[in-house]
Amino acid sequence: MADDIKPRIRVPANPKKGEVIEVKTLITHPMETGQRKDAAGATIPRKIVNTMTVTFNGKPVFQAKLEPAISANPYLSFHMRAEESGTLSFTWKDDDGAEYKAEQKIAVT
Amino acid sequence: MTTIAVFQEARAQQAAPLHLDGPASPAPWTRYRDWNRATWDNYNTLAQRERTPKALGKPLDVATPIVGDAKKGQDLAFSRARGGGCLACHVMGPRSLEAPGNAGPDLSEIGDAGRPDDYLFNYIWDPRHLNPDSAMPPWGAHGFYSREEIIDIVAFLKTLKTPATFRNTLDDPAKRPLPVENRDALDPFVNPAADRIDTGAALFAKVGPSGKSCASCHADAKAFAGWAVRMPKWNAQAGKMMGVEEFVFRHAKATTGADHPMQGRENTDLSVFLHSLSNGRPIEVDLTSPDAKRIYEFGKVLYDAKIGQFNFSCADCHAVSKGGNKWLRGQYVGDGKGQMDHFPLWRTSRGSGEVWDIRKRLQWCNVQVRANELPPEAAEYDALELYLKSLSQGMPLTAPNIRH
Repeated sequence: MADDIKPRIRVPANPKKGEVIEVKTLITHPMETGQRKDAAGATIPRKIVNTMTVTFNGKPVFQAKLEPAISANPYLSFHMRAEESGTLSFTWKDDDGAEYKAEQKIAVT
Repeated sequence: MTTIAVFQEARAQQAAPLHLDGPASPAPWTRYRDWNRATWDNYNTLAQRERTPKALGKPLDVATPIVGDAKKGQDLAFSRARGGGCLACHVMGPRSLEAPGNAGPDLSEIGDAGRPDDYLFNYIWDPRHLNPDSAMPPWGAHGFYSREEIIDIVAFLKTLKTPATFRNTLDDPAKRPLPVENRDALDPFVNPAADRIDTGAALFAKVGPSGKSCASCHADAKAFAGWAVRMPKWNAQAGKMMGVEEFVFRHAKATTGADHPMQGRENTDLSVFLHSLSNGRPIEVDLTSPDAKRIYEFGKVLYDAKIGQFNFSCADCHAVSKGGNKWLRGQYVGDGKGQMDHFPLWRTSRGSGEVWDIRKRLQWCNVQVRANELPPEAAEYDALELYLKSLSQGMPLTAPNIRH
């Protein structure tokens, strides 16, 4: 299953200094609620991304706690002011302890 | 021919291994869990085209002048609860609400049109003997409305004597803006189906039970550019026409050993991936070989076949001479041409991200006209897919796309 999980990031690469940019994130993930049953009637175990954090040059800029009601392939976006060049680091934490990571550099002009 | 072309030709003629035992989808076929559960066993399907009871062929006797309850008739005509209501296809005077359609004639002044009462009654009960070309369902003969209800509807029609007026251009089907789909369909942030290109590519590289993956033999997946636009194609070994999805199941099972039945998640993901490799290529299905010609003709027959409780053919809603490029309430029903250049697709009207191949869409059409659907690999869908693709011949593929 884990090889199906793929994070995607969409950020303007060269924002103007001081510009408010939208950071879009999408992760391919089943977000299994733990409420569903398979064809044999057995409960399909819960498996969701429960936390998502974003840091910029090591400083936290965004954090979200996700619950089972959130759909598969969660799409989260937020706005931030781009004051300096640097690296956005994204981490999704799975129920099973797995962490999915992505990075995106931005260079202000 | 270049050496490479000769090689490719020779390779193409070498039959690809196929697993030909049994069906390509779960059998016996059962309908998708969240669809309408009803069945319509007394009416034609695409495969059983002799089930629908024959039309009576003569008018029913009804006492005239018809005196009914026009208010009840209006409620029935405007309600969506029973087969969509008259407003789905007809503008019905100034009281037409909720964005009426225009697939049928404007009935705003039908009360002044000089039609006898028993003619109106019989036209609604079963139009087939009054107008053999009518696309309208036999509302009485097929059990949508009772005799008394149709009498009330006729009473309502007799009150319609004023041209329609509309609150705004959205309500007026003649002025309503046509739907435009111009989003970036290949951006996964826009189209959940685009995300499945990568999932399909990962499946393509995944080793199956036989120890091989698709990539073991097809090292360069880009060689599939131009493949999906030539499907469905006659397969001599199987003795049947095959679309992308059935071929994926039968070929994968015979080679990598992977089990990807049609309408399963993996099958659709691979279909999305393989279609995406042909993006921008013109659709060019074979229509010249004797088998293709024969199946094309069968597809044409099916396109005109009346099926289901509604007694609709594909042509009734999609041929431009009938309902094509017109409105069913707020839904624009496109011409048959141009329906096949964008599958598989994300259906925005279905859940948060359902991705459908063409076979599921055809099954949906069947259920919408209240006809039992067929298994996705049915020969009738092969023929219909070929015929529909021939209508889109030459149009560039843009898959996976977005439609409502």
